[in-house]
Amino acid sequence: MKRMTLIILALLMIFMSLSAKNSNQLTCSGSTTVLPIAQAAAEAFMAKYPDINISVRGGGSGVGIAALISGSVDIANSSRPMKSKELLQAKSKEVNPVAYFVANDGIAVIVNNSNPIKGLTLKQLKGIYTGKITNWNQLGGKNIPIVVISRDVASGTFEVFNEKALQGSMVIDSALMLASNNAVVSTVGDTPGAVGYIGLGYINDKVHTLSIENIVPTETTIKDMSYKLSRKLYMYTNGKASGNAAKFIAFIQSAEGQKIVRDTGFIPLN
Amino acid sequence: MSFKLFSRTVAVFSFICIILQVSAIETKLSGEMWGRWTNETTKNKDADGEYRNKISKNYLSLERGYLGLETAFTPNTKARFTVDMFSTDATYQYPSDSAMPIDTLKNSTIDGAGLKLKYGYVDFANLFPIPDLNLTVGLQKTYFGTIYDWNYALIEKAPSDLYKVANSSDYGITLNGFIPQGWGEYALGIYNGEGYKKIGSALSDNIDFAYLVNFRVTPISGFTVGGSYMNNTVGREKTLSGDALNSKYEEQNLWDGLGRFVYGPVEVWLEYIYKDVAYPNVSGKDYTATGLTIMPVISLNSLINLPVEVIGRYDRWDESDRPSADTAKSLLNTMILGLNYNFMPDNTNTPQMTVQLNYETKMYDEDKSAPSFADGKKDSSQLMLQLKWKFANTL
Repeated sequence: MKRMTLIILALLMIFMSLSAKNSNQLTCSGSTTVLPIAQAAAEAFMAKYPDINISVRGGGSGVGIAALISGSVDIANSSRPMKSKELLQAKSKEVNPVAYFVANDGIAVIVNNSNPIKGLTLKQLKGIYTGKITNWNQLGGKNIPIVVISRDVASGTFEVFNEKALQGSMVIDSALMLASNNAVVSTVGDTPGAVGYIGLGYINDKVHTLSIENIVPTETTIKDMSYKLSRKLYMYTNGKASGNAAKFIAFIQSAEGQKIVRDTGFIPLN
Repeated sequence: MSFKLFSRTVAVFSFICIILQVSAIETKLSGEMWGRWTNETTKNKDADGEYRNKISKNYLSLERGYLGLETAFTPNTKARFTVDMFSTDATYQYPSDSAMPIDTLKNSTIDGAGLKLKYGYVDFANLFPIPDLNLTVGLQKTYFGTIYDWNYALIEKAPSDLYKVANSSDYGITLNGFIPQGWGEYALGIYNGEGYKKIGSALSDNIDFAYLVNFRVTPISGFTVGGSYMNNTVGREKTLSGDALNSKYEEQNLWDGLGRFVYGPVEVWLEYIYKDVAYPNVSGKDYTATGLTIMPVISLNSLINLPVEVIGRYDRWDESDRPSADTAKSLLNTMILGLNYNFMPDNTNTPQMTVQLNYETKMYDEDKSAPSFADGKKDSSQLMLQLKWKFANTL
């Protein structure tokens, strides 16, 4: 009997030691737009606090939010606000999502550097993505067919672009749906007739940004929301952030963190 | 599954894939398979005429195999198509002296498996100026009680499905949506009222539709309450020619109230069902039935760091209000104990595989049931072990 009790106690201790969560481990996943900010901030944060380990993954805003609801991550990165369905799923599982605003972003509409077009109206942009405008010469450009590049449906960037630019209209069937901002910028950079849209932080020297309604996405026009494709970037936690999550978010919102936001090509909070 | 059925399924799926791919912005292929071992013990008469417990079933089966396509034509227009394959509930039988099937006998199948349409609908969002409202058209979920979001934490069906109060899917048109800020959800619907399993000549000649209202609120985190009402009929009130009254015609008023409480690793479901059945063409046959279900689910993950859940369930299904001469008059108590081991999580931590071990026992109350239930003659118990696996990929 005594031996049995000892065995049970030993097993319980093993289980308890297994269950002791590593308090110095922080996990975040979600939006590929927020990913470069989160990665760069995590590196700087871990350099400052070497005893804390942060794991950062992409997957898309929807994936990050689903992971927060299932309890598998501490922070969900999102390039859009949570939907009613997601909020309901969270609330009914006793998860209380709290949003932290970490950066401003504008969805930049980009074309290949060889394309002389400098700007579009929202109507023209919608016309391109719905297939009504198919050649750049219809917009005063070269006689080159337009190659439409879009983000995949799971992407928060797609959802914001769809809401603000397409107003729910269908993207043309022939559009190339790509899974990341990097893939979009790379394809547009290699394709003379291509048009795509990405988070500001992904712009490189192979593409140039178009103005929308004569407004170029700049820090001022994005902060005052006069650029029509402006948005906010979020980090969500379950309940008010505490412990290392609170420390990490506070770091991103600090002057040091906001410098990282700027260095990664996004617009700081203030 | 026979080669004939398999090739037919593949052909239908390929055709639908091609059609959806032509016009879709994204198409997702998903599947779910439930491989099960069932061992059932029931009371049977022995040579002395005594009832004794005997193993009545002991078999392996593919109890369910869902194969589905979900496609987004536009961000506001999405469609879903799902077929349900199974190696039980078959539809045709070979008589012993013939090579030809007899379709009036429904004990086995000529194909080795059955195939049914489970879902086939289109969701239209933002059709109306109400946020988060969808119009859904086609073979879709029945938004009644817990049947539409039952996630099979236990192998057993949702109470309203198990006691045949509502069908898990049906042909219909619904307005369904979410209250902003995660306050709740609702649905209004018109359905065929006969479910997805009836096809061809098995479909009755019922000409009435079923009407449904469903509402759930989550006023505080971890606490959800809701209710559903459905008005349905079974059969046809009068014959098509001659206007003779149909004695089997039923008018049903179906109510369901539910509560869900989540606190840390503990989740408790409560469901109450009230079924009011009237036979307008027969006197003295009307009855009411009530059901109560309590289901606690405890996740042991935080305690032992293993993705294990322990689940209990108690059901009380009371049809003792049926007339004394009715052989279905009964009061059934069901108890289930289950253990789930979840593994192979995806990037949202949703398990792709689950091993489920369930023990279920059904006991009839002798005093409140028809004589054929006396002395536990219809009591039974089941031990089930199931491997459930699923996948979803974007095409």
